[in-house]
Order: sequence, then C-alpha cells, then structure tokens
Amino acid sequence: MMDRRHALAGMVAMFGAGLFAPLARAAGVIPAAGVIDQGAPSLQLFTPDQRALMTALCERILPATDTPGAIEAGVPAYIEKLLADWSVAEDRDPIIAGLAEIDARSWQDYKIPATKASAAQHDALLTLAMNDQIPKGEEFFEAFRQMVIVGYYTSEIGITQEREYLPVPGEYNGAFPYSQVNKVYSA
Amino acid sequence: MASTDRYDAIVIGSGISGGWAAKELTEKGLRVLMLDRGHMVEHGEDYTYDGKPAYEVPARNIMPDPIKQSDYFIAQHGYVAPSNQAFYNNDRLNPYDYGAGSKFYWIRPGAVGGKSLIWGRWSFRWSPADFEANKREGIGGDWPIRYEDLVPWYSYVEKYIGVSGSREKLPYLPDSEFQPPMPMNIAEKWMKQRLETQFPGRKMINARLSNMTEDKPEQNRTKCQLRNQCGNGCSFGAYFSTQAVTLPAARATGRLTLRSDAVVTNLDYDPATKKVSGVRFVDAKTGQAETVTARLVFLCASTLASTQILMNSRPAGSGKSHFDSSGTLGRYIMDHIFRVGVKGDIPGMEEFIEYGRRPGAIYVPRFRNNGDSEDVGFKRGYGYQGGAYREPSKPVGFGASMKQGMRKYGGWKFQMGAFGECLPYEDNYVALSPDKTDRFGMPLMQFNVTFRDNEMRMMADAREQGEKMLRAAGLTNVTSSVREHVPGDAIHEMGGARMGADPRASVLNQWSQAHDASNLFVTDGAQMASISCVNPSLTFMALTARAVDHAVKEMKAGRV
Repeated sequence: MMDRRHALAGMVAMFGAGLFAPLARAAGVIPAAGVIDQGAPSLQLFTPDQRALMTALCERILPATDTPGAIEAGVPAYIEKLLADWSVAEDRDPIIAGLAEIDARSWQDYKIPATKASAAQHDALLTLAMNDQIPKGEEFFEAFRQMVIVGYYTSEIGITQEREYLPVPGEYNGAFPYSQVNKVYSA
Repeated sequence: MASTDRYDAIVIGSGISGGWAAKELTEKGLRVLMLDRGHMVEHGEDYTYDGKPAYEVPARNIMPDPIKQSDYFIAQHGYVAPSNQAFYNNDRLNPYDYGAGSKFYWIRPGAVGGKSLIWGRWSFRWSPADFEANKREGIGGDWPIRYEDLVPWYSYVEKYIGVSGSREKLPYLPDSEFQPPMPMNIAEKWMKQRLETQFPGRKMINARLSNMTEDKPEQNRTKCQLRNQCGNGCSFGAYFSTQAVTLPAARATGRLTLRSDAVVTNLDYDPATKKVSGVRFVDAKTGQAETVTARLVFLCASTLASTQILMNSRPAGSGKSHFDSSGTLGRYIMDHIFRVGVKGDIPGMEEFIEYGRRPGAIYVPRFRNNGDSEDVGFKRGYGYQGGAYREPSKPVGFGASMKQGMRKYGGWKFQMGAFGECLPYEDNYVALSPDKTDRFGMPLMQFNVTFRDNEMRMMADAREQGEKMLRAAGLTNVTSSVREHVPGDAIHEMGGARMGADPRASVLNQWSQAHDASNLFVTDGAQMASISCVNPSLTFMALTARAVDHAVKEMKAGRV
C-alpha cells in the first residue's frame, strides 16, 4: 500500500485541505450506531400500582388456559421495556392515561382501586375501554391489546407452547391436510 | 508500473457483481484485491440470528421506532430488522443529501456481501425485447448488446448459483437453466388454471429464485430448507450470496485479498495512457487514506455508489469527471415503479394448508406490449410477484375466547404486487453536493429522479388489470391499494453510467468497459441502459462474468 503521508498529500491536491476535518473525525471514535438496548428499562414509567394493574390486565387479554398466559410469558416486562426504550415517547401516553382512567372508573363503579378489582371486574373495565365508554378508552385498549398480543406470540411460550415452531421445515407441501395441524405454526 | 503492483486487479465492492468479478478474475489466475466499504461478515459464523426465533433476537425482531428514526430512516423502507440490521447501511453515519433535489430512497447495505445478503433473490433472464426496446421506440440509448450476447453467460452463472423455476418457453421471459421450481400450493394451482383460462396469453408461473431446490455439495451448499428467514443470512448457503457462493470460490484460488471497511472515494486517472492509475480509499476504522494500483479495475460498488465514485474522480478544481467525456455520467437513473397491490379471498380448499415456508411463490409475467398492437396508453410493461397463503384468524376482543379463536387459520388469501419498467430519462440524474461531504470526505449524493406519466399510467393499468384478473379468477373481496411511488424504493435502481456504442453518448462500451479508460470496467447496475420490468441481479452476474472474460483476454493481448 502507498504510505499514508503520500496518500494524504494526494488527497490534499484532489480536494483541498477541507478534507482533513472529516478525515480526522473518522480517525477518532466512531459512534456506536443503531445498537438495540437490551438491558433493564432505562425509565420507570409505572408506579407500583400502575405496574400491578398493567400486569393484571395483560393476563386478562391473554389468560392462562390450557397453555400459560401473558404473565408467565413475560409480557408485562416486555411492555415495560418496549415503552421505555423501544418506542417513541408518544406511544407511552395512551397507556399511562388509560390505566389512570381505568383506575378512576374502578373507583366509580366498585369503590376500590383497580389493582384490588377482581378478574371479572377487570374484564368489565376492559370491555368499557374497548367500547370507548371511558375517556380515550378505545385508544388505550387497541394499543394495549396489540402490545400484549405481540409480546405473547413472540415470547418463547407463545412461539413454542401456544403455537408450534418449525425451525427447519426442510420441505414444502402446498396441500398439507389441515386435519393434521395441531397448532398454528409460528412464523 | 504493473510489475511492481501487488495485485493484477482491484474489485471495488463485494456484492452480487463484485463477488462475481472476484471469482472470475482469481479463477483466471489474477491476483485480486477486493475492497468493500462495509464491515466483514463471514458465512455462517456472522449470521448472528440465523435460525433464531423472535424471542432470541433483540426487541423480538421488531425494529424499535427510536432507532428506526435516528439510524435507519431510509433502510426501514428496505425490510431492515434487528436480525439483519448488521447487513444494512446506517443512514445517520453514512448519509446522502436528504434535503436536496427530489425524494429518493437510497437503500444501501453496510457489510461485505453488499445487497447479496439483503436481496429478494428473484432471478430472471431479461428478454430479447428488453435489449431492443430503446432502439425500437427511440427512447434512451440503444443497448450495444443483444440478448444473444448474454445467453452463454446467463447459462454459465445460472448453472453455478442454482436457480429454481419452471420451464415456460415464453418469448418475453426466457427460461433459465433451472433447478426444479418451488411448488405452487393448491390454491395457486386452482387460481393459475382459472386465470389462464379467463385471460388467454396471460400466465401465472412459479417464482424464479436463487433459492436452490437441489443441493450443490461441491460448493458446500444445501438446498432451501423452507424456513423463509433468508434475510438473517442462510448458513445452508441455499440462496446466492457472495458469502455462500462467489467468495469461497475466489478464496479457494489463494489469489484473493479482501479488505473490508475500505471506503473508496475516487479513482486516479492518467490522461496520457487514458487509464485508471490508482484507487483511493479511506480505512473506515482508522481514517487513514490509502491508494492502491493495479492493471485492471472493476467498479462494482452498486449502481449509485459506482456512479458517485466515478463522478468524484475529477481533476483538481474541475467539476467534471475523468470518465464523463460524454456528459451522460449520472444520468438516466431508473428504478422499478411499484407499491401497487391487489388481494382477494380464494374460496374453498380449507381442508388443505401449507407446510413449510417458501421464500417466493408465483409470478405473473408481463402481458402488456409483448408485440401485440393493442394501444394500452403507455410503453413497456409490468409483472406481478405474489402468492396464496392462509393466516391465523384475527378475532376481536380479548380473553380466553380470543386466545382460542387465534388457534384457527382463516381461509386462503391471495395477494400480488406489480413491478413496472421505468423509462430512461436524461434528466433523471444524480449529482454531487457542492459543499456537503460525509465523514470520509466524499461529496454527498443528490437525487433528481422522478417517475413520469408513462410510469403512472402503467401503475394505474396494473391496479385495474390486477383487480380484473383476481375477480375473473373467482376471488372474492378483491381490493387494491396504491402507496406513494418513491424512486429507489424498489431497490432496483439502475443507470448512471450507461452502456452504448457511441462514446459521445454513453459511459461504457459493450464490454462494460469505460470509453474513457480502457482498464476500467463497471459491471453493476450503473451500466444498464434500460431496466426491463424484471429483477436485474442475474443480469448483473452475467454481464460481470462476460466483462471479466473480455478484460482478461484484452490484458493477455496487451491492450489493457
């Protein structure tokens, strides 16, 4: 290779001295780019009560049945991380606001905080939100439901227990009998 | 000077074209230095997320909005995900002049292997008509080659890489040397029969893919395992990539030196000999500038990066490139126009479903302006890529009943999207920013590329005909959609240093060789004088192998 001094002299002739500022920057520390933070949530978005309510509502969206539910699948922790570090700030507002409205409605209807409400009462509160019968209810419900569904069906439990994962199908059958499908295949 | 060079040839870029150039040059006995601006990705071992389910990929393999907005705001249009982001350009660190000119998505790779790691793998021969249309219609410049010139080279690369597809004997979509096709599913077979009956002359055929359906043990490659996770990198080597195919071949000769993180900025030129006299690059890790020399230079940095490097190769104080005596450098930029989709429901057959995940399904080849005289209101044509599939049901509500509801599949659905040919326009051009440079001192690219009436009329027709075909085939709930047509979005950008017989009107000759420098060959998409409506990568491979063959003969004859 040509030696550096010679090369740089050539570059000056080609571009003028202006080149050296960016070159010098390039020679220094290159910023880490696009690294996805996988640590603990960098923000505490929820109060302990909000976290308890959010967790309970996750399980009402996707409850344990013959397979584990949202809590066992780690959905609440996923949502905390998602909102803290993997979403833009505007995505947090409807969730925080919706939890507050649900709590307010719980006080109104049941005279207890939503964290103390029963599963049936949580279902009733979620239904009100779904039908937009509490302020900004539908906005909360749609966003929250989507996060729970994504979190669940991308979890290990969702992919390998609720659904069937075929890491290496190895073959293609375009007329496979549906009767032989036990579970939906994970994508 | 040649006797002191450590290398006989320098290949700039390691993507689909660069990999082929390195393979062919080294196999012909030349010592080759291959430079790539991206970081190293080794086959297999650097496919970090190959085979990993979503829960083992950062952020469940959904690109977080903050990073998308800060670092991948262009790449997001090109299917970037956490599992493959290492293969993509970082749009913040390596920008173009986003504010200037017209809206364009320059979707770039950022690793060795280039777009061979992120491509869609659809592999078609271009047709005789594709190479004749410019002349026949008096649009753009005539190709200095014809389909027949490429036939042996198509065969050569197809046999090596492995292309799956069905023999159809269509004059407007020549067959390749095929491995067996990816099969159609039962719903697609049903639809094919009805569509072809309703529309004589129109066809629905198997996808043509560089995903293999037969093993190539001599290349340590295994056929497609039907995972449809190609974008994560395929350790089976089932699809064509530099890493799986051309790099091992070049390395096996013992004559390849590969240097990653080497950002080529410009080429030195010797006006006395009319040759490239040096390749200048900056080491992205250290910032150190270097110059290397060799008898032959293959510029395969991609359509736009090659054009940028050529434009940035100019005498001090001049705005005009050494390689632009024709005045056409940077002009006739094209991309396929797309983002028109049609979909519908296929009735019945619910006792069947797919097992396995294909990397591609069906193709409806161009049926407009195939030599018939019907006036359809625009020139050239379009094809559709699509397929039939069943998805899990999407029940509303929440709770145990919703969970139960999601355990079923819905009925068969079909969808396809159109890819249309864009005409070559002289005033669709790229330029270098007069005052903005990137961190390597490279002037930023500016885009002035728009789709015109012909392309818009074509897409309107694609939408209308698509709906018509789906309805006539018996689909229900047929709908269509159109999204913003942004040049670059199809990632099939071509042109900028077009081929032509006339040195006064083209940058390259019929051998992909620069009119202004006999030792410079540009064998990527920059050389294309028109863009067909089918995917281009296979043609880049064929043109590259052909150019190497010519270059080495010229070198041995002492003319280069």
